[in-house]
Amino acid sequence: MSHITLDQALHKHYARNQRWGFTWALWTAILWGAWYVPGTALWFEAPYSLIDANNQSLVLAATAVMTWVHAVSVLFFLFIWNLMLGKSGDYVRTLVRFRKISKWYALASLCGGPMAIFGSYMAMGFIGPVFAAITSLFYPVIGAIIARLWYKEKITSRAALGMFIIILGGGVIFGPELLGELDFNNSNVWLGYLGAIMAAIGWGAEGAVAARAMDVSDPDSGIQCRFTFEVLFWSIIILPLIALLTDVPVLQLITDTLSNGMAMLWIVLGSACHAYSYTAFYKSFGLIGVTRGEAIGNLHAAFAVLFVVVFTLDLPAWYFFAGLFLATAGSLVMFTEPAESVAQLREQETSI
Amino acid sequence: MKLHQKGYLLVELSQVANAWDYELIAIALQEYGVSGSRWVNTFRVALDELASAGLTTIIDKKLDDGTYAGKDKVLFQYRLNEFGRTRMRETGLLTDD
Repeated sequence: MSHITLDQALHKHYARNQRWGFTWALWTAILWGAWYVPGTALWFEAPYSLIDANNQSLVLAATAVMTWVHAVSVLFFLFIWNLMLGKSGDYVRTLVRFRKISKWYALASLCGGPMAIFGSYMAMGFIGPVFAAITSLFYPVIGAIIARLWYKEKITSRAALGMFIIILGGGVIFGPELLGELDFNNSNVWLGYLGAIMAAIGWGAEGAVAARAMDVSDPDSGIQCRFTFEVLFWSIIILPLIALLTDVPVLQLITDTLSNGMAMLWIVLGSACHAYSYTAFYKSFGLIGVTRGEAIGNLHAAFAVLFVVVFTLDLPAWYFFAGLFLATAGSLVMFTEPAESVAQLREQETSI
Repeated sequence: MKLHQKGYLLVELSQVANAWDYELIAIALQEYGVSGSRWVNTFRVALDELASAGLTTIIDKKLDDGTYAGKDKVLFQYRLNEFGRTRMRETGLLTDD
């Protein structure tokens, strides 16, 4: 004799999916925030610490090299992950279906890698890190719009409100510092704006594009496909082109990076964070949708500050706590949606 | 080469009018030569994702008496819908009707 009714069991089922979806999205934010510590420390190690900040072409080439080594390392961690899960075979079976399925992961890697990360570094370099951080907070809006228009993902008013409050919280965390950073006399400032737009569109589009492929494939296999393509893009196209078309010492940057133990330590730590942050990111999409997954992922702004506080023991300003409160409130608004709201993430035709 | 797992579940579902999750999971376990509750849950999550993404429609559900997924867990009966067929054609999983 059963102790619960079918309706109660069904509610438990969807509540469990919702909880797992938000847990994965929260891990995305925690590990993404943690990544900023080794990611920033890397710039203080040779060869990156020896580069003149005014030499923009060298800075961008160094960023490309750094991103490539990082992507290779991420791919290694994902290989371990899928090996442990017994999904390596599924990764290969997904990867080889390029024309119909894995091409979407290739496109997602272009959106998230060369477009978003590079754009973010441009925004940092030509305007400043605070501006880059604030503008990247808008990527869930782009992701939500694309998911809505492209495949009719349902966006409840509560999910939209939660996303708005989280973005507001991120703005409060970084906003007061932004005014000190803007310099309208800088003639290169438009490159910063362009980079910021690239970052917001790139990261937003990545979620929507990847979710399209995950319609018919597994997220663990999918994320490994995505980084396989990113490594290929950097290795076969971007770095060789930089080496051939410019006089930047790309090979020297690579060997200097690989031979510096401390630089490699930061890259490996950063890659571990990034690999599993991205894995959690992709796993959340199937359970709670791109809109909620990306919005909760935005909490990385708060976690980044918290991790920096842990490592520097330097307490943040009061407005950080106001922002943290808003970001947490926004997450709660989303999490307290009825569990059944994640049962059907897209509008579906009624005929069966 | 075998199909990837989610693709295989869709293809199997496309060949019948409808199917219960435990039926689909049983043939998937056999196809990939795996066993155990972790793999059963992996396939259950994949079927959940297919339904929430709108490719399949849940047409019936019942409480498990402990035979398949665990006592008081919900068992779902799925049918591939028109959107699912469209996505299968777009992704090369279905070549004709």
